[in-house]
Amino acid sequence: MSRTPKTVVCAGGGGVGKTTTSAALGLALARLGHKTLVVTVDPARRLASAMGVEVGERVNEANVDPTCEGKLFALMPEPRQSTRTFIDILFEEEPEAKERMLRNRVYLLLADAAAGMHEVVSLMLVARAVEEQEFDYLVVDTAPSRQGLDFVGYPGRLATLYEGRAVTWLGQLSRGDAGDDDGEVRDRGGGLLAAGRKRIESLFGRLVNPQTLRDLAGLFAELAIVKERFARLARVSEHLLVGEDTRYVLVAAPSGSASADVRFLSRRLKRLGQRPTALVLNRADAEPPGWLGELDAQGAPPELQAALQAVQAEFATRVRAGDHLALTLKGDLPGVPSVRLPTLEARDPSRIVRQLAGLLGGHLALLAGA
Amino acid sequence: MSDRRNAAGPYPPLSPIVLVTGKGGVGKTTIAAGLAAAGAKRDGKAVFIEFGDGESGNRVLAGARKSGVMHEVVEPKKALERSVARLLGSRMLAKAFIGNFAVRRMLRAAPALRELAMLDAVGQIADKAKGKRVVVDMPATGHGLAWLRLPMQMRDLFGSGGLYELSERLVHRLVAPRACSVVVVTLPERMVLQETLELCGALEREVGMPPARLVVNRFPQPLPAGAIEQAMALGTDAADQLVEVLRARELARAEALSTLREGASLGVDVQPLLLPQAAFDPNAVQVAEWLMQQEAA
Repeated sequence: MSRTPKTVVCAGGGGVGKTTTSAALGLALARLGHKTLVVTVDPARRLASAMGVEVGERVNEANVDPTCEGKLFALMPEPRQSTRTFIDILFEEEPEAKERMLRNRVYLLLADAAAGMHEVVSLMLVARAVEEQEFDYLVVDTAPSRQGLDFVGYPGRLATLYEGRAVTWLGQLSRGDAGDDDGEVRDRGGGLLAAGRKRIESLFGRLVNPQTLRDLAGLFAELAIVKERFARLARVSEHLLVGEDTRYVLVAAPSGSASADVRFLSRRLKRLGQRPTALVLNRADAEPPGWLGELDAQGAPPELQAALQAVQAEFATRVRAGDHLALTLKGDLPGVPSVRLPTLEARDPSRIVRQLAGLLGGHLALLAGA
Repeated sequence: MSDRRNAAGPYPPLSPIVLVTGKGGVGKTTIAAGLAAAGAKRDGKAVFIEFGDGESGNRVLAGARKSGVMHEVVEPKKALERSVARLLGSRMLAKAFIGNFAVRRMLRAAPALRELAMLDAVGQIADKAKGKRVVVDMPATGHGLAWLRLPMQMRDLFGSGGLYELSERLVHRLVAPRACSVVVVTLPERMVLQETLELCGALEREVGMPPARLVVNRFPQPLPAGAIEQAMALGTDAADQLVEVLRARELARAEALSTLREGASLGVDVQPLLLPQAAFDPNAVQVAEWLMQQEAA
């Protein structure tokens, strides 16, 4: 890899506007001339079209704002393609093993059903993208849930699976050999490893039939072939996600779970040895719009009065919710600076991205160290 | 389109197990708690199950506890240990198996077995509840469809053996409309609604479980007729801003209604329940009352 981009990871509960915030942050950085890649692991078609990119496995130049031509790029991998993409990337140079993988029933099922598979594949695509071209910034939009941050630790966990002897060991299950054709698993412990494998094999035998066990072992035998490649990609993406230059922006909005969500995410970060860099509070209006105060529908017909009252109540509720959110989260994460943003309303989502980028532009030193 | 869609019923009765699914932030947990509270009101007792740490149940069930809703937290690691222990007939063997250095790493890399065990836990809790309503607040990621597909996929994969039998049992226990209902919760935004309607279609096609309820949360209330024209007549800049806001509200409402109508014409055969937007998000007891009023509880 030539040069590592600075990474900003955006995390938050569902429905807080995290994906839009990530896109806007990317745009704000691009407007300053930084070449930026925005990656979202949960592609919303709405946002893809707002940014003028296709959902897919390739990096596209975003087409959302003419002032930052050549600076803003997006990667929005399609979740339904993950099972295939995983194999395509890992087995690029091993066509025969690739064919076997694509026929392995255990792989097809486990990959399809595995939570986190798509995140891992997205990261592998990012790792490949930053090897192919240089970026100044990488903005990562995590999955819309509390588990969104789990994947920050995922590459590291996978790397340990592939770097150690686990994969090779599993690949030799049910093959009936001691596996001493591979130096790494040569049994130095007086047959202990072989005995352990026999025991686990017999337990596996009670859970699955022999054919499935052979498929399972086959899967790991294939993965063992590409384990260096896998471990390298996993390490590259881990480096991007938990490097020294990485910033973690927690995004929140008024909702019942806002406080619990940020506390949860901040605990997760702590476990990864990190802390939140900043909080972005979306839909946290500080005051009702000025024009609303100028309107006095007194003397107006009752229908207009009713409509105006409904709008006034709506904005008053927003301000109360915004105040409550700001106050609560300040108590939850003392010392973490926050950026409070109003509700943005526009028919066109790309206009919201541009407006939000304008608002975030004044906070880039805090949010991205730019 | 009038508000007829929101008129009471007819909604088919819900099966004893109710899986509530939807994207994050749509109010899924609140609706799930409301369904549990309504069940408890009818039967004296109901169970609310969440996967994770118990935080969301503690939050939404405050105030619904006295009504007889029991809160169960299914923790992935424990669920897996229990399921494997049942299959091997021994907790010690299960611990040895799961604790093996390579098996442990494999399970972390491929969590499908853990998810199967979590569904197993739901089945076990439902067995103990003896026909009383059991509501599951499904995780926001990997929407309900992937979870419901899992038992069949695992059954077909394993062919025989302990995991096969477990999957087979779960197919009968959970992936069967008579035993289990799916409730889908969504928001009244066009793109979100379209995705939801696709999910509804896929639930029927892929697992034979069309949603029993489609709840559209925070539905915008209709404006008083003529309000926009009256605001325009004021002619001030501020009034123009108001007109814009009112128009946006009206448009959002019309768009949501027409998207739902398209869904009905595409064969998504479920009468949507439109939970009106309120100043504050309702609590479990209020949602239960609303569902009962609609005869949809």
